[in-house]
Amino acid sequence: MDTFVQQLVNGLTLGSLYALIAVGYTVVYGILQLINFAHGEIFMIGAFGALTTSLVLFRGQTGLWVLPFMIIGAIIASVGTAVLMERFAYRPLRNAPRLAPLITAIGISVFLQELVRLNYNHLPFTSWNPFNLPDAKSRIPFPQIDVVTGPAFQIGGVTIQRSAIFTVGALLMCAALLWYFINRTKTGRGMQAVSQDADTARLMGINVDRIIVVAFALGAVLAGIAGVAQGLQNNNIDFRMGFLAGLKAFTAAVLGGIGNIQGAVVGGLVLGIVEGMATQYIPGQFGGSPWKDVWAFVLLILVLVFRPQGLLGAKAVDRA
Amino acid sequence: MIRIPNIPESVVVKHGPKAWPLGLAGAGLLIFGSLLSWSFDPQVLGDLSISFNPGALQIMAIAQGLLAIILLLADKGPLTSLGQWADTALALRALATWALLFMAIVLVAITVEAGGLVNIEPGGWIAFLGAVLLFAASRLVLPRETRDLGHARLPGWAEILVIVALMAAILFGTAYALGLSDAWEFVLFLMLVTGVVITGIRAGFLTWLGHVTTRHKHVLMLAAFAVAFLFPFTQNGSDANMSIASQVLIFAAAAMGLNIVVGLAGLLDLGYIAFLGAGAYVGATMSTSAFATIGWKPPFIVVMLVGGCVSATLGLIIGAPTLRVSGDYLAIVTLGFGEIFRLSMFNLDGNNGPNLTHGPNGVPAIPDLTFGSFNFGDTHTLLGIPLARFSNYYFLLLVLIAFIILVFARLNNSRIGRGWVAIREDEKAAEAMGVNVFGLKILAFVVGAFLAGLAGTIKAHQDVSVTPDQYIFLESAFLLAAIVLGGMGTVAGVLIGAVILKLLPEKLRFFADYRLLLFGLLLVLMMRFRPEGLVASRRRQLEFHEADEELAVRVEGDIAEVVI
Repeated sequence: MDTFVQQLVNGLTLGSLYALIAVGYTVVYGILQLINFAHGEIFMIGAFGALTTSLVLFRGQTGLWVLPFMIIGAIIASVGTAVLMERFAYRPLRNAPRLAPLITAIGISVFLQELVRLNYNHLPFTSWNPFNLPDAKSRIPFPQIDVVTGPAFQIGGVTIQRSAIFTVGALLMCAALLWYFINRTKTGRGMQAVSQDADTARLMGINVDRIIVVAFALGAVLAGIAGVAQGLQNNNIDFRMGFLAGLKAFTAAVLGGIGNIQGAVVGGLVLGIVEGMATQYIPGQFGGSPWKDVWAFVLLILVLVFRPQGLLGAKAVDRA
Repeated sequence: MIRIPNIPESVVVKHGPKAWPLGLAGAGLLIFGSLLSWSFDPQVLGDLSISFNPGALQIMAIAQGLLAIILLLADKGPLTSLGQWADTALALRALATWALLFMAIVLVAITVEAGGLVNIEPGGWIAFLGAVLLFAASRLVLPRETRDLGHARLPGWAEILVIVALMAAILFGTAYALGLSDAWEFVLFLMLVTGVVITGIRAGFLTWLGHVTTRHKHVLMLAAFAVAFLFPFTQNGSDANMSIASQVLIFAAAAMGLNIVVGLAGLLDLGYIAFLGAGAYVGATMSTSAFATIGWKPPFIVVMLVGGCVSATLGLIIGAPTLRVSGDYLAIVTLGFGEIFRLSMFNLDGNNGPNLTHGPNGVPAIPDLTFGSFNFGDTHTLLGIPLARFSNYYFLLLVLIAFIILVFARLNNSRIGRGWVAIREDEKAAEAMGVNVFGLKILAFVVGAFLAGLAGTIKAHQDVSVTPDQYIFLESAFLLAAIVLGGMGTVAGVLIGAVILKLLPEKLRFFADYRLLLFGLLLVLMMRFRPEGLVASRRRQLEFHEADEELAVRVEGDIAEVVI
C-alpha cells in the first residue's frame, strides 16, 4: 500500500508539472489551432530567468522571501520570450498553410535552446560577463530555498519532498486563478469567444490580436512557474530540459482534450500518475524508470486511436 | 536577397547615358586592379601579393569583371542581339551588388588575416574602386523590354552542349570548392557562385535554361548522373571529401524519402529519422560484427530488403492508427514515435530488456560490405585513379538515390501521386472525388519508411557503428529543414537543400558552435520570407502567395501548356 501511495504522490508531483506546461499548449491551440512547439523552451527560459534573478539580485541567498522574486523573474523571462515569439515569428504566418508555423516552431525551439546554451553567460561574440553567470553548456545547480527545499517529510512509509508540495500547491493556485480569469474577467471571456469563432468575436468588438498575445502570455506565466518548480525539484536545470517536458506536456494536453483547459490539468495529472504507476507496476524487464517515457508516448498513441478527442475533449480533432 | 532602395527617377533620366561608360570603366578597373597585387602579406588567402600573377580570388574578381563587360556590351554595343533576350539592367544590378560585396569581404579578410589595413596593396583598392563604380553605374542603367524567352531557341546540339557545359561547371566547381581548406576562400567562392546564379536568374538565363532542360529532360538526367558519377575521379584518391560526399548522399536519400511523405502527401513526419535508424539497426544486428545479436547472416541484398520491410512495418504500425486523425496530431505522434524508437534502442541492452542493441554503446565494428570478391573497404584503381573506401560507398549510394528518385518521379506522375497532391491540397474535397484518402496516406507513409530503411542498412556499414544518439529528434528536424529549404515536392530542390545543410557545416567549421543557432534562425526566416523553398514548384509557390495574381496567371499558363 505504501508503495502505491508513494507512486501516487510521485505521479501527482510530476503530473502537476506537466499540467502547468500543458495549459500553455491548450490555450494557444484553442485560439489559433497552432501547436506552439516552442512552448517547452518557454518553460526552460522561465527556469533560467529564475536562476538569473537569484544569482544577479540576491547572490544566491536562500531566504524564503527570495522565492517570489524568482518567480517574478521567471515570469518576466518567459512571458517576454513568448510575446516576442508571437509578434515576430507567428503573427506574420497567421494565414499561411498549416505546415509553415509548425516548421517555424521547430526553428524557434532549436534557436532558443542554442541561444541559452551559447550566450547565457556572455553576449554573442564577446566574453563580457559582468554578473559572473555560470556556463549553460552543462547542468547548472539551481538555488535552494529555505522551507521549500530541504529534508523530505515522512508520513507513514511515504516520502514527500518539500518541492513536491510547492509544485502541487502552485498548480492548485494557478488553476484557481486561471478559472477566475477565464470565466470572470472580460479578457478571459474574450478568449472564450475568440476560441469559439474568431471572426464573429472580431465583429463583436474583441481585439483578436490582443487576445492572441494574452493567450501566449498566459501559457508563458504558467510555464515560468513550472520552470521554477522543476528547478527546485531537480536541483539543477539545463538548456535541454524544455524538449522532453514540452513533449510530455503536449501529450498531457492531447490526453485531456486539446483546447480544453480543465482537460489539460486532468491530462497532466493522469499522465503523471500513469508514469509513476508504470515505473512500479509493469512487471519484468520493460518496467522501471528507463521505460517510463516510452509508456507515456504509448499512452499518447493509444489515446489518439481510441479517443482522439481526449478524456474531456469537446473540440473536433479533424483538422487538416 | 539584398534590397537597395531605388534611386529617384529624375536622377536616372539625367545621368542614365553616363551609366554605360561608367560601368565599362568600373569593370575595367576591377579587372586591372585584380591583375595587380592585393595583399602585402603573401601568406593570406592563397598568394595575392604578386602583380600579373593573379591568385584564385583575383581570378574570381576578373571573372566578375568580364561578366559585367559582357552584360554591358549586350546592353549597348556589339552584343545587343543577345541583349534583346536578356534583362541586362537587372542582371547588372545583381552582379554589381555581389561584386561589391565580394570585394568588400576580400578587403576585410586581408585586414583580419594579415593584421591591419596597411596590408592592402593599391591593386586591392583599385579593384574595390572598380566595384564601386560598377555598382553606381548599374543603379543608373535603364531596364528595357525583352522578348519572351519561350521563343529563344538554339539548334538542338547547341542546347545539349549548354547542358553539358553547365554540368561540367557544376562538377569542377564542386570539386574546387571542396578542395578549399581556407574558410574565407570558401565563403568568397560561395559568394561568387551565388552572385553569378542570381545574375543568371535576373537576366532570365535560368528561365531559358528551364525551357531548354524541359526540351531535353533525359539529357539533363543523364548528365546530372554522369557528373555525380565522375565526382570521385576528381579527388585523386583522397578519401576525406568522399567521406563528406557519402554522408551527404545518405542524408539526401533520407530527405528524398521524407519528401514523398511531406512534400507529396503533405503528412508532417517529425520522427522520420527513426525509420533510417530501424534500417541501420537491422543492418548492424544482421552484419557479421562480433557485437551483432541476430544469428541469421543472409547476403546484403536480403538484409537491405529486411531493413526496408522492418521500417515499413513500423511505419504501418505507427501510421495506421494516427493517419485517421490528420494534421498536427500526426506530427506529434511521429515525434513521440521517434523518441520511443531512440529510447527503446537505448534500453534494449540486456538489463532493461532483451539484449538487441547493446544500449547506449550501440553495435560497433560493423565490417565493410562485400559483393562477391568486391570488398568495399579496399582501394580499387579505375582508369589509373585510386578509389578508396568512401568512394565505393558513394557509388552504391548513388545507385540507391537513383532508385529513390525513380520511385519518386514515377509515383509523382501517376494516379497515386495525383491522389496525394489532392489530399495535400484539400482532404475533404479529395475524398468527395473518390480518392482513397486513408489508403493513399498509409501508402505514402509506408513507402517513405521503406526507402529510409534501405538507406539505413547501407549507413550502418558506412558508419562502422550504430548508436542511439545518431537518431535524435534534431536529425529529423534537419531532414525536414533540407526539404523546406530546397523546396517541398521537388527533386532538385531537396537535393540542393540536403547538400547545403550537410556540406556547409563540414566546411565552415569555424562557426561550428553557432551552427544550430543559425539553423534555427534559418528555418524561421525561410518560413517568413520564402516558404516555398529555394527551388519552388510553381503550384506550391502559388499556395504560399495566394494574393499574387500575376503568378496565378503564369501558373495556369504553365498547366495549360502541359495539357496541350
